[in-house]
Amino acid sequence: MYAVETQNLTKRYGKTQALKGLDFKVDLKEIMVLLGPNGSGKTTLLHILATILKASEGTAKVMDYDVAKQPTKVRQILGISFQEARGFWRHKPADILRFHAAVCGVPKSKRDSTIEEILKDLELWEARNKLFMHLSGGQAKRLEVSKLLIQRPQLAIFDEPSSQVDLRGKRKIWEKILKLREEGSTILIATNEVREAEYLADRVTILDQGKSIVCDVVKNLKDEITGGDIVELELEPGPNNTSFQEELKQIPGTVSLVAADENRCKAHVSIAEAWVPKMTNLCSERRARLISVRVTEPSLDDVFLHFTGKALEAPKNA
Amino acid sequence: MRNVIRLVWFDLKQELRPPVWIVMQWVTFTIQLAIYGALISQLVTGVSNYQQFYAIGFVVMMTFDMGSHTGRHFVEHAHEGRLPYLLSLPIPRSKLFLSIALQGGVELALMISVPLAIALTLIGNLSVISIAAAIATLFCLGFGVAGVMLGLSFIAFKSADLYTAITVGLSSIIIRFSTVLYPFIFLPPGYAAAAFFSPLTYGADLVRFFLGFDTSMLLNPTYSVAVLTALAVSTLGLGALLLQRLVEGVKSA
Repeated sequence: MYAVETQNLTKRYGKTQALKGLDFKVDLKEIMVLLGPNGSGKTTLLHILATILKASEGTAKVMDYDVAKQPTKVRQILGISFQEARGFWRHKPADILRFHAAVCGVPKSKRDSTIEEILKDLELWEARNKLFMHLSGGQAKRLEVSKLLIQRPQLAIFDEPSSQVDLRGKRKIWEKILKLREEGSTILIATNEVREAEYLADRVTILDQGKSIVCDVVKNLKDEITGGDIVELELEPGPNNTSFQEELKQIPGTVSLVAADENRCKAHVSIAEAWVPKMTNLCSERRARLISVRVTEPSLDDVFLHFTGKALEAPKNA
Repeated sequence: MRNVIRLVWFDLKQELRPPVWIVMQWVTFTIQLAIYGALISQLVTGVSNYQQFYAIGFVVMMTFDMGSHTGRHFVEHAHEGRLPYLLSLPIPRSKLFLSIALQGGVELALMISVPLAIALTLIGNLSVISIAAAIATLFCLGFGVAGVMLGLSFIAFKSADLYTAITVGLSSIIIRFSTVLYPFIFLPPGYAAAAFFSPLTYGADLVRFFLGFDTSMLLNPTYSVAVLTALAVSTLGLGALLLQRLVEGVKSA
């Protein structure tokens, strides 16, 4: 049995096709991350699984329950944390969580203590009696995530769980999600944040334009990229940098080279230890001056670039 | 059923925090009845006590407004992003619909409680049965109107502007072409024909019938009971069916 299984799942909004015959599986008790840019169909998929949207074609099952035929059963074992927490303007966080816990069947004896624990862990305790409309974006997002941490469903779906949250808050949310999995939940996360995916994923499915491009464990996805290392170079501005970058492509061991601009480039190389000395020799021959050299492993952004031909995240210095 | 009650209570707390809008409705009713109702009744000669007639008409209009509000509220849920959350809860759609209808019922009861008490006091000399029958009629009308508005609310998923235009237009017509403010027998033939299509005609006349108004001015009560029951059952049934089969949260990508 799979926690989630879809076959030929298709969703159309008028002429727009958000999902195009998606075949997708999530194993029990794993953390599956859906990685894709905005508009790739991630949220649509999550909403179909949560029985909020109806598929145009195909089937989707959660723990063997068909989402179209047994929606109430599905909702009893699944919980979803939405991309944006909205619509509770005049309620207080503590009230929202109490209501959610009660409706989702959290035993009365455990409700208050669990809510207190989660609110404190996610630094919302001080804000528990504020009206929702007075919470900051980050607080509202943490509150949204809290609902699932209290509910502890068999399948927990998080749509961009740490967007709008500061780095410290992100870490806390990620730790809580990992703990939720340890306690036995299957986790499905949609995100376009590479760091979040790398931190949490057992497996990653790359979605692009409503299709699953590839699905595997993070290490295998990175190994798929020919050229195990990435070398990022920054050159001192000079008139010949563009032609120098062309020459770098000819160095043995260079798999590919992508220029960010005339002074910066990223080279996929087979072995960085062998490639970097050749590159520095070429630098001295051509009198090109290096500002920085950084050797890294491929990130999921590189994986995304490799499989889709486009970057998931905008260049940091762009 | 527990979850239905939880949902109703959770929603009501938001609606009534603070309950200014309901209190304002009571104040408006009182002022309107005390000033406009009292003065206009001096001018109207065809009805023995027009202030009482007007008081009941006003309560029926408030009932209509509350029914419309329930439909609008559902649309707001969708546009504020709350509907997807409600749809994701482990509650069957039928019970979700029941909670929306019940909440509308509770809000209706709250809103008309004071105006109806004032109107009944004004009329005086009433039996418990006639009061209960009048209240039941108002609820039947409220549920019927809520059902119509919930049915129409699905238009709002395509265009909120179109929904607003239709509901505002419909409200104006339904109230004006009805017996809410003037007895059926005084309506010109063209107006009377239109009033037959307004649910408020049947609601207002049936309430007045139960409260002992002159029956020569009113429609046949059996006919009114049949129309109101059919309206409430059919529109609420339609709303439940639409929620069960058609409703989806928000368009997502």
